[in-house]
Amino acid sequence: MPGVTMSFSNMSCSRCGDGFDPHDKIVNSQGELWHPQCFVCSQCFRPFPDGLFYEFEGRKYCEHDFQVLFAPCCGKCGEFVIGRVIKAMSASWHPACFCCAVCNKELADRGFVRNRNRALCHECNAADKAVLSGRHICFKCHGVIDDKPLRFRGEVYHGYHFNCTACGIELNSDARELKHRSGYTANEMNELYCLRCHDKMGIPICGACRRPIEERVVTALGKHWHVEHFVCAKCEKPFLGHRHYERKGLAYCETHYHQLFGNLCFVCNQVISGDVFTALNKAWCVHHFACSFCDQKMTQKTKFYECDLKPACKKCYEKFPSEFRRRLRKAYDNTPKKSTSA
Amino acid sequence: MENGPVSCLPTTPKMSKAKKVIEEALENQNPELDLADKGVVSFEEMPGLIDMHNITRITLSHNKIQKVPPGIANLTQLEMLNLFNNHIEELPVSLSSMPKLRILNVGMNRLDSLPRGFGAFAVLEVLDLTYNNLNESSLPGNFFMLGKTLRALYLGDNDFETIPPEIGQLKNLQILNFCFPQLVLRENDLIDIPKEIGYLPRLRELHIQANRLTVLPPELGNLDLFGNKSVLRMEFNPWVAPIADQLQVGVSHVIDYIRSETYRYLYNRHIAARGPPPPKLNDKTRKISRNRQYS
Repeated sequence: MPGVTMSFSNMSCSRCGDGFDPHDKIVNSQGELWHPQCFVCSQCFRPFPDGLFYEFEGRKYCEHDFQVLFAPCCGKCGEFVIGRVIKAMSASWHPACFCCAVCNKELADRGFVRNRNRALCHECNAADKAVLSGRHICFKCHGVIDDKPLRFRGEVYHGYHFNCTACGIELNSDARELKHRSGYTANEMNELYCLRCHDKMGIPICGACRRPIEERVVTALGKHWHVEHFVCAKCEKPFLGHRHYERKGLAYCETHYHQLFGNLCFVCNQVISGDVFTALNKAWCVHHFACSFCDQKMTQKTKFYECDLKPACKKCYEKFPSEFRRRLRKAYDNTPKKSTSA
Repeated sequence: MENGPVSCLPTTPKMSKAKKVIEEALENQNPELDLADKGVVSFEEMPGLIDMHNITRITLSHNKIQKVPPGIANLTQLEMLNLFNNHIEELPVSLSSMPKLRILNVGMNRLDSLPRGFGAFAVLEVLDLTYNNLNESSLPGNFFMLGKTLRALYLGDNDFETIPPEIGQLKNLQILNFCFPQLVLRENDLIDIPKEIGYLPRLRELHIQANRLTVLPPELGNLDLFGNKSVLRMEFNPWVAPIADQLQVGVSHVIDYIRSETYRYLYNRHIAARGPPPPKLNDKTRKISRNRQYS
C-alpha cells in the first residue's frame, strides 16, 4: 500500500514536525495531526483532561490554564467568571455578584447608576440623593418626602399613610406623637393624633419650643415650659428651679435682672438681692434705706421729705434753716409730681 | 464731770452723750458711729475717735464742728463720713487720701474752697457739697478726676456761675459701674452749662433749676433724660421763649425741642448775639453758710 505509506510519509505532527510511525496513534483535531504526546496544553504540557481544550491565538490550553491566563475574575467573590460576564464599574462580575450596594438586588437586568463609586439601583440612588439634599424617605413607601416628614416611633413617614387615632382624619406633618399618657407605660401608647385632637387632650405646650410637655412642667409668666426651656432672657441659661425675676413678660436670672434694670443700692452700690425700697428715682437695700442727712434708718412707713431727690427724715427737715425749707417748699409746689413716698 | 478726766474744754451734757456713744461703740465693736445732733463743737471732745481704726461710718450731722482734724485720714476703714450741717470752713488736705471713703457729705457748711488735690479720692462715689459758698474757682485742678468713681455729685445751693468743661471727664467709669449718675446744680448762679454735660452718657438725673440759664446746649439732647428712670429739673430759669413755652407743656417736650434742627439754629444765633447775663436772682444773704464765726 504505497499510497498509504506515501501518505504516512507526507504527514507530520503540527507541534514537533516529525513524521508518524505507522503504529503510532495520531490525534486529529480540526484537520491537524499530532502525536498524542504533542497534543497537550501549551502552558502545562499535560494532556487535556477529557480532551477538552480552549484555543486562543493559535495555542491550545487546558481549561485550568486557560482560565488562569485569560478568564476574568469576579470583582466581588474573586472567582473566575465562566459564562455570562457582567462588565461594569471597570471590573467583571458574575451576574449574581453584581448587586445594588444598598439593597443588594441583582443589577444585571435592571440597570444601575454609579453613585459615589458604588453601583446602586435606581430606587436606592434616588433615596440617597434625597437624603443628601436634606429630604427624607418615607419608611413605609420608600418614596421621597417632599414636605416636612411625620416623625413616628423613630422613623419618618409621609403623613398621609396615617390617620388620627382619635378622629380618623388623614394626618400631615403637624400630627403629634403622644409618647406616654398617665396610666399607660412609656411607648405603650405611642399613637398619632391630629393637632386639634391633641390640643383637646389638655397636654401643656411649651411656651418656648411649642411642643407638648410630657415630663415636668414649669408654669411661669402665664405659660407652661419644659424645665430646660424656661431660661433667662439674657443669658439663656435654664433657671432649673432657681429664683427668677420677671419684667415686661420676660424672665431673668438674678445677675442679669440687676445688671439690666439697675437695682443697685444707692448707698452700698451693690446688687439688691432681697427686698428693695424704691423711692425718689433710686433704690436701697434693707440695710441702707436711711435719711441722707443723719443716716437714721427708715422703714416703709417712715414719712420723709425730698431734697434733691434724696430722703430727709422729719427731724432733719425741721433742722433745715427756714429760708431753705421755704425754697424746698416752693420747688416742691412747682415740680410735676412723681411719687415721693416709699 | 466728777469722775471724768480733767478737761479745760467747756463741758455740756450733750458732749458726754457723744462720749457715751463712742464708748458704747468701742465696747460692742460697732463699726458705725451715730453722733448726729450731739452738740459737738470740736473733734477734741471725742478723744479716741481718731484711733478707732475699724470704724466704717461716722455720722456727725447737725453739730457745730468748725474744723476737721487732718488725723481723720488715719481711719483707713472709713467708708461713709457725714458732716452735714456743721460750721466747717475748711477741709484737711489729707481727706482725699482716705482709701475707702465712698460717701462724703459736707453739705450745709461754710466752705469757700476745697483743699488742693481734692480730686484724689480713690473710691469716692457720692460727694455732697450742697449749700456751701463754692464757685468755679473753689475747685482744685484735679477735681474732675473724681469722675473715675463718682456716681452722684451734689453742688446745689452754691455760687457757681459756670461749670468747667472738664466735667466731661465724669463719664469715665460710670459705664462700668452700671449705675445712673446724678448731678445736682440747683440754685447756683449758673449762666451757662457746658456742652460737655451732653457727653455723660449714663447721666439720669440733672437738676439745674433756679439758675440764670437762658439756653441749653443742643448736646444735651444726647442724654437719655426721657425714661421713667430719668429726671431733668429745670424750672425757675430765665429761659428763652421757645424753651419756656415747651417747658409749660412738659420737660419731655423741651428735650424733643432741643434735639431739633430749628433749635440748633436758634441756639447758634443766640450764642453769637447774646447780651449781658441775666441778673442774679437768688437772694443768698440769709443762707446760714454765710455766717462767719470769726469775722
